[in-house]
Amino acid sequence: MRPSFFHHLHPPTIPAKQARFRYTLAAGGLAVFLMLVLLVTGILEMFYYIPTPAEAGNSIQTLTFLVPYGGLVRNLHYWSAQFLIIVSIVHLLRVILTGAYAPPRQLNYLLGMGLLVLAILLDFTGYVLRWDEGIRWALVTGTNLVKSIPLIGNALYTMLVGGTQPGPATLIRFYGWHIFGMTLAAGILVAWHSFRVRRDGGIAVPPPPLREDQTRITRFELLRREILAMLLASTALLLLSVFAPAPLAAPITASAPASEMARAPWFFLWVQQMLKLGNPFLWGVVVPLAVLVLFSLIPYIFPKPVKPELGRWFPKSNRIAQALALLILLSIITLTLLALLPAS
Amino acid sequence: MSNRTLSRRDFLKLASAAILTASGLLGLEGLFRFLNTQTEPLPPTEFDLGPASNYPPGSRKVLPDIPALLLHAQSGYSAISLVCTHLGCTVESKPEGFACPCHGSRFDPQGNVTRGPANKPLRSLRVEVTSDNELRLYTN
Amino acid sequence: MRRYFLLVASFSLLLGLLITAWQESRHPKPIALTPTLTGQVEYCLTCHADLAEISSSHPVNTFGCVLCHGGELLALDANLAHSTMRGGKNPSDFSVVLASCGGTNCHSGTAENSRNHIQRVTTSIQATYAGAIANIRYTFGVQPDLKAVLGEFAIRVPESTSGITELAAFNPTQETNPFVQAFGHNCLTCHLSALPLTGSEYIRYTGCSACHTPTQSPDRTDTEKLQSNQIHKLTTAIIYTQCDTCHNRGNYNLRTMTFEPRQDLPIDRLHDYYQPIAQFTSCEWMLDCVDCHTRTEAMGDGNLYSVKKDIQYLQCKTCHGTLTDLPQTRTLTDPNDLAFRLVLLNPVIDLNLGDTLLITEKDEPLWNIRVLPDGTYELFGKADGQRYVFRPVKGSACLQDPDRQDSGSCHECHSVER
Repeated sequence: MRPSFFHHLHPPTIPAKQARFRYTLAAGGLAVFLMLVLLVTGILEMFYYIPTPAEAGNSIQTLTFLVPYGGLVRNLHYWSAQFLIIVSIVHLLRVILTGAYAPPRQLNYLLGMGLLVLAILLDFTGYVLRWDEGIRWALVTGTNLVKSIPLIGNALYTMLVGGTQPGPATLIRFYGWHIFGMTLAAGILVAWHSFRVRRDGGIAVPPPPLREDQTRITRFELLRREILAMLLASTALLLLSVFAPAPLAAPITASAPASEMARAPWFFLWVQQMLKLGNPFLWGVVVPLAVLVLFSLIPYIFPKPVKPELGRWFPKSNRIAQALALLILLSIITLTLLALLPAS
Repeated sequence: MSNRTLSRRDFLKLASAAILTASGLLGLEGLFRFLNTQTEPLPPTEFDLGPASNYPPGSRKVLPDIPALLLHAQSGYSAISLVCTHLGCTVESKPEGFACPCHGSRFDPQGNVTRGPANKPLRSLRVEVTSDNELRLYTN
Repeated sequence: MRRYFLLVASFSLLLGLLITAWQESRHPKPIALTPTLTGQVEYCLTCHADLAEISSSHPVNTFGCVLCHGGELLALDANLAHSTMRGGKNPSDFSVVLASCGGTNCHSGTAENSRNHIQRVTTSIQATYAGAIANIRYTFGVQPDLKAVLGEFAIRVPESTSGITELAAFNPTQETNPFVQAFGHNCLTCHLSALPLTGSEYIRYTGCSACHTPTQSPDRTDTEKLQSNQIHKLTTAIIYTQCDTCHNRGNYNLRTMTFEPRQDLPIDRLHDYYQPIAQFTSCEWMLDCVDCHTRTEAMGDGNLYSVKKDIQYLQCKTCHGTLTDLPQTRTLTDPNDLAFRLVLLNPVIDLNLGDTLLITEKDEPLWNIRVLPDGTYELFGKADGQRYVFRPVKGSACLQDPDRQDSGSCHECHSVER
């Protein structure tokens, strides 16, 4: 058959060994798929969501309970978002643990880091759009963390919040960032990131003379596998969304309610745990930024993986980078678990 | 003989395509129901016009919120809808009848079309007097 | 094998979609209600359509549910929908009563003091318990006189005409006298904001519903509802058993700070009158508490008082008159008379303009008692509608000293129990 548009988006052939699920975990592809789901479900939600403090919570309740399949659309959006973060981290880890950031892929690695940051910020802004009791303190502390930055903190805060405290202006700005500002940036980065994958020679592999296995698969087979993955992912996402609803609390009213323990969104629990130690700027801004910077510098400051060792897990040549990545991840997971323990 | 039977590969392809088409149709049905929901309450069809004494005999009162024109003639109370029957603009009440500002439709004082793209007369609306001598207008 | 993957995956997607559609069809169909008072559509009826109307003066089509109860009116998930309900199951609890039952169009804040039921009841002795607290503290020497200074909760009434404008909150843990502490420990379950004791004969709600939501009835058929505490009703026809959840506890023993029920009678303190120290005349035995005790007596008049006697004023002579005077009456000429409003809520009597009713010394209409043409009076029980006919004292064979026409003196001859 003649290759279609979708076939042409892929290279004519790719090495069979590195195309296997056990090598890539299909993480990158899954991330793209989840982003597509987020885009579509997000647009559908826009038909019902009203971005004002008085109406946000009510419009979400209307969507969830009174619109046919409204709850499903919302749950799909919620679970795709949470899994996007996890899949992106898996992808990042895979790239580090297979040394796939080696030159010429260093720029692409940075583009990916940018996408991870955007995904987290999109998750957070989406979370705030709920405007229910669950997000109230996360919004206050998160925006106040920005204020703690010396010199530019207050200006940044005003840009973010649109006033002296979170209110209607904040909501509409977060809405603007969420549906357009960051989505556009993410779209551009996805396109660039995907282009760089092809420009850099596709999935990281050893150079041809050093490959044990020379078999390749065609673009037709590749697309077939991707469709298969999408079908399975869709089914799993659908069933999860049908039986596990996205969280929703009562809308924010003027008076602060009797406090239960205020919990950060799961992907920021590690930061919440660190903030129990004291200085907000240090633990809430500097340390997370340091983690980000450290990860971003991995392709530059550590011994690079050598070409013959590419295309498989745990190459010897970049063991230090692998160890560091795993260590940081383990720390973040530990902090997250600690944050989940009931307060003493 | 074997030309007319389907190969296994083609059958599988056909089956997959059929199932995916069915899935697509199911998805579209859901999408349609999703988009077709009204969240706003229906606009009112009954209006309290207040005491009948506000509308003495011979009066012609424009009620802009409905929009309608209330008449108190010798035969009793009546009302004409001021919604142009062409495309829905509110017509203006004039001495010679009604005039629509949008596309030039003209109606006589009874609501019949005298000119213009409209071809249906203005609707008559039902008016009732309640037991407390108040007026109620119905637009349905 | 590989060639089947796509087919299986497609099929599982289709299956997933079918499961989704099936789950969607299992959701309850939302039932909308747009109450005329709020104009905001609410969906409580989706799950609660079989709940009975709470009263004829609070029809659900006018009030809806959320106006009184709070809650998330769009949510169909029980936890979310109920999360912002005021006072849990009881929006009349005093902590939330102003938001639920108050408002100038409702039960508080009007110019007419007698219609500010919330202000009246929250300052009444049944709510403040000021009398009992003052009495106990005075008895055990903690305060110098019987004037109330403490109440169940702190409350200020600057315009109070009783001489008491403020009560501070009574805190048993700050009391040093062991008897007062014991009082605080044992006896505070009988005021309107207190949770009742456990036990089926004590079951009642708090706040307005303590009296106005009937949890105890003479025929005892509602035990199931009683246990699950699901009684959705507001009434002014309050049966005596409702009062008995707190009153009719028995003789109180100041040394042990407990109530002692009588041992010589079959004990059903809820349904039988056996209060040990009381004397009962025939009408006190036959009628319900609300047939005599007026609105002002039960709910106060908006002022703070130390003692029951300051607000309770009804005597035998209020209805029966004295040897020299007939009871006071009023002929109904105004269609907006309070009596007509009260009859509307509880139509046990068929009142018309021109009827003559008995009134109390404070001008409160005894709207269920009408003067008959022959000079006798007919009373219709507020709780059961039973009709009684009685005579005035004047012109009767009563031999009581004309200067001693108080209730205690009437009881000397007319009481049936000691």
